[in-house]
Amino acid sequence: MGLIVRTIARTTIPLIGIFGAYIVSHGHLTPGGGFQGGATIAGAGILFLIAFGLGEMKKHYSKSLYSALEGIGGLAFLGVAMLGIGTAFFYNTLWHSGPVLNGKPGTLLSAGFLPIMNLAVGLKVFTGLVSALAAIALWRRWKE
Amino acid sequence: MPFIVAFLFAYIAWLALTAGSKGLLWSTEELVAGLIFAATIGYATRDIVGEDSTRFLNPVKWLLGIVYAPVLFWGMVKANFDVAYRVITGRIRPGIVRVPVDLENDAQYTIMSNSITLTPGTLTIDACPDEKALYVHWINIPEGLESPGSSEPVAGPFEKWARRLGR
Repeated sequence: MGLIVRTIARTTIPLIGIFGAYIVSHGHLTPGGGFQGGATIAGAGILFLIAFGLGEMKKHYSKSLYSALEGIGGLAFLGVAMLGIGTAFFYNTLWHSGPVLNGKPGTLLSAGFLPIMNLAVGLKVFTGLVSALAAIALWRRWKE
Repeated sequence: MPFIVAFLFAYIAWLALTAGSKGLLWSTEELVAGLIFAATIGYATRDIVGEDSTRFLNPVKWLLGIVYAPVLFWGMVKANFDVAYRVITGRIRPGIVRVPVDLENDAQYTIMSNSITLTPGTLTIDACPDEKALYVHWINIPEGLESPGSSEPVAGPFEKWARRLGR
């Protein structure tokens, strides 16, 4: 894209990133959550891909890193779901008797395992969407 | 240190988003979480904001930006009334003009182009730094100004401001 789009993208990509992080980390307090915030951050990645082009994207995008992060997101979700397996699957033991994340409802560190799950889902959605769009952009040609 | 620029920008945005978590101020956990997230964003985007973005950490530039806001707002008010007049009367003479500008870097071109686009009646179509010119679609080209020698008739004082703000 042109010079103006690239310069504006330089300033808006950190802004979109922090707004997405805000949505993800306040998923238990305000509207939004893991998927919405992850898709917002993926929007920043797609803005980078469109504004700077595929050549720059190839330099900054690492397939193995994004693949690993997506797996870590899924595993973290499963891991916190297993924390209360002594009682039941998905038993919110952090909220009932956990050492952290059992603050007063309405504060950031409350709601048990929900913030961790939101972060895990946000990470998974961000890396998954960016990987999918990068793969589509890398598709070789329109026809054989 | 482009990391610091991206970090500060992200942290200020975080503070604006989470203001009011403790009375009118911020609770400690929000401040700490903001530090972590802003550091992550700053680290991830340090190559994107660019090496020479550190010049925007200069507080003199922020003051200039605050002074520029009413200038831009007044230009927008005037131009909106002018366009309303042209909508009612239909007196237009549209066309695309090449405006030579004397700017050096990307930020100056961006501020200049956005100011021109925000004031109705003029619309930046393309910025060409290699020929030091903007292509502007103008709703009402006065007679004899089809190829202006400077940006003054098109953009008023914006070129001076863009040069100052983006230096």
